[in-house]
Amino acid sequence: MRILLLEDDKQLGPWVSGGLREEGHVVDHFEDGKDALMAAMGQEYDLLILDRMVPGLDGLAVLKSLRASKDTTPALFLTAQGEVAARDEGFSAGGDDYLTKPFAFVELSARVNALGRRRDGSENSEAAATTLQYADLSLDLLARRCERQGQPIELMAKEFKLLEYFMRRPGRLVTRTMLLEQVWDMSFDPTTSVVETHISRLRTKIDKPFEEALLSTRRGEGYVFGR
Amino acid sequence: MVAKLFKSVGWLRRSSMLRLSLLLSGIFAVGMAIAIFVAITLGQSAIERRVDTSLTALAGATILAEVTGDSPSMIMRGTAKLQGLPRPFSRAVDRGGGTIELDDDFLRSDIWRVLVTRDSNGQEVMVAVPLEESEQAQELLAGVLWTTTLVVILITIVLGLIAGLLAQRRLVRVRETLERLAGGDLAARTGHARSRDDLDDIAGQVDQTAQELEKLVAQTRHLSASLAHDLRTPLARLRSRLEMLPQGEARSDALEEANRMAGIFDTIMRVARIEAGQGREGFENVSLRELIEELEETFGPVVEDEGKTLKATISEAGTVVADRPMLVQAMANLIQNALVHGGDEITLIAKGRSIGVADNGRGVDPADYAEIVKPMVRLDSARSTEGTGLGLALVRAVTARHGAQHSLAPLNAKAAPAGLRVLLNFANL
Repeated sequence: MRILLLEDDKQLGPWVSGGLREEGHVVDHFEDGKDALMAAMGQEYDLLILDRMVPGLDGLAVLKSLRASKDTTPALFLTAQGEVAARDEGFSAGGDDYLTKPFAFVELSARVNALGRRRDGSENSEAAATTLQYADLSLDLLARRCERQGQPIELMAKEFKLLEYFMRRPGRLVTRTMLLEQVWDMSFDPTTSVVETHISRLRTKIDKPFEEALLSTRRGEGYVFGR
Repeated sequence: MVAKLFKSVGWLRRSSMLRLSLLLSGIFAVGMAIAIFVAITLGQSAIERRVDTSLTALAGATILAEVTGDSPSMIMRGTAKLQGLPRPFSRAVDRGGGTIELDDDFLRSDIWRVLVTRDSNGQEVMVAVPLEESEQAQELLAGVLWTTTLVVILITIVLGLIAGLLAQRRLVRVRETLERLAGGDLAARTGHARSRDDLDDIAGQVDQTAQELEKLVAQTRHLSASLAHDLRTPLARLRSRLEMLPQGEARSDALEEANRMAGIFDTIMRVARIEAGQGREGFENVSLRELIEELEETFGPVVEDEGKTLKATISEAGTVVADRPMLVQAMANLIQNALVHGGDEITLIAKGRSIGVADNGRGVDPADYAEIVKPMVRLDSARSTEGTGLGLALVRAVTARHGAQHSLAPLNAKAAPAGLRVLLNFANL
C-alpha cells in the first residue's frame, strides 16, 4: 500500500514509517500539514495516517480540505486526545478510524490493514452477503445460524457478533481494542477479561469439537481467524 | 396549599424592603401619635386661655342682675347661687375655675369652661361657656391627623411591599443563577438591570464571578487537553522505544506497565471530561432492561470464569434518556469492583428507573460510603488488590452528568456479610 504519514514527532514518525515499510508498504512521511496536503492532492494514496496536532495545518484541517475536494482516501487519525468528543470530531471530518497515543504498533498495523482492505471493496461485497462461509464453517446472518461440518452450533448474541467480525476479516490480525470497539461498542478498557473470556467461549463452541482450529491467538498482539 | 402559603409568607418575612417599610411605618406612627397629643394639648390650653380672657372681660362688663342666669351659650351666676347646676360646676368653682367634663349633656354640651371672676359690681361670679364647638374642632383635627397617618402608613407599607417584590424578583434571579452555577451550568448569568443600586452591584458581581469561573474551567479543560497531549506523546515515545527492544519478559512487563499508565491516564481524562460535560449531546433513549440484559451477557462468562455467579433481577424496568456508553462504563466499573472486592454472588439490578450492581461480600462500612466515591481514594482493606481508585469516581461523574442520584447501601443490613448495593437512580429525569 502507498501510505501518507503526517506525524511531526521526531521519535514516533520514524518508528511508524519504519514499521510500516518493514511490512512492505510504501510510506511518504511529512512533518508539516501543508506539505502533506500538497502531496495528497498531487498523487493517489491508499491510506492517510494523520496526526491531529502538527505544525502548519493540523491533521483535521488537512482531511477536511481533501474531503471537500471529493477525495475519499481512507484516513486514520493518530492523536493524543483520547476524548470521545475529539474522536467524533475526527469521524465527522471524514476520518475512518482513530487511534489514541500511546498505541502498540500491532494495533496500528491491524487498523492500517483493515482500512486498506476496505479500499479494495472486498468488504462491501461481503457486507451484502447473507451467509459467511470459511472452510467448513458457515454463518447465516439472516437466520442467525452457525454450522460447522453440518453440525449446528448454538451461539449467544455476542458470540455471534464476534464470529461475524472475525469471518469478515479472515487471516487478518484483530486486536483486543478493535474487538471492544466493534463488538461491544466500548471505547474504554473494562479491565475485566471480557474479550478473552468470550473468545474462549467461542473457541469451545467452534474449534474444540473439531480437528482444525480456526481462531488463533497471537500473544501480546491479538487474534487471527483462518487457517 | 398551606405549605405554599407558608412559603410565600416566608419570603415576605425575609424581605428586607418590607421589614424596613414596616419599621419606618412604626416609627412614623409613634411620632405622629406624640405630635397629635402635643398639638391637641397645646391647642386646648390656647383655646382655654382665649375663652378665659373673653369671659373675664364679659363678666366685668355685664350688669349682674340682667344677665345672671343660664342660657345654652353661657351660664353666669354668683358663686353662692349654684343650685340646679351639676356638681362638677361647684367643684370647679371651689378649684377657682377650669375645664369640666360632664357625664351627660347639660344645655346641649358636656364640656364646659368654668371661670371664677368678679363682675362690674365687684361680686364674685362663676362664668361658664360650653366648649363643644372647640372640642369638635379638636376632634376633627385629631381625626384628620390620624387618617393622614394611617394613609401614609398604608402607602409606606404598600410601597415597601412593591419594592420588596421587585427586589425579591431580582434576588430570585440572583439565587437561581447561583443555583444553576452550582449545578454546573457555567453559562448562567443574572443579566442584571444596570439600575445602579446595591442589588444590581451584587448581580453584576455574580455575573462577573460566573464569567471568571467559566473562563477558569475552560482554561482547566484546555490545560487537561494539553496535559493529555503533552503526557501522551512522551508515553507513546516510551512505548515505541520499548517495542523496539528485543522480545523477552522484561519487554512485555515494561509494555504492560506502560499500558497501565496509559489506562490510568485515560480514566482520569475520562472522569474530567464527563464532569466538564454539558448539554445532552449523545443522549438517547436507553431501555434499562436491554442494557442490563446485554451487560449480563457480556460479563456473565467473565464472572463465571472467576468462580462467581452473575444474575440479573429486572422488574418494571423503564427507559431513560442517557448516554449509553457512559452507563455501560459505569456499570462495567461497578461489576469490576464487585468482582475484585465483593462476594461470590453478583446481581445486576434494573428496577423502575434505577440500575445497579449488588454483591454479597463483606461490604463497606457505611461511614466510608462518602469517602470511596472520591477520586483516588482506596480503603486500606483494598490496598492489596489491583485498582486505581477511580472506578467509583467515574460512576459518580456519570450519575452527576445525567442529573441522577447514586446510592450505596448494604445488601442485607442484618446478615453477617452485609454485602453492598450500588444503585444509580434516574427517577428525576
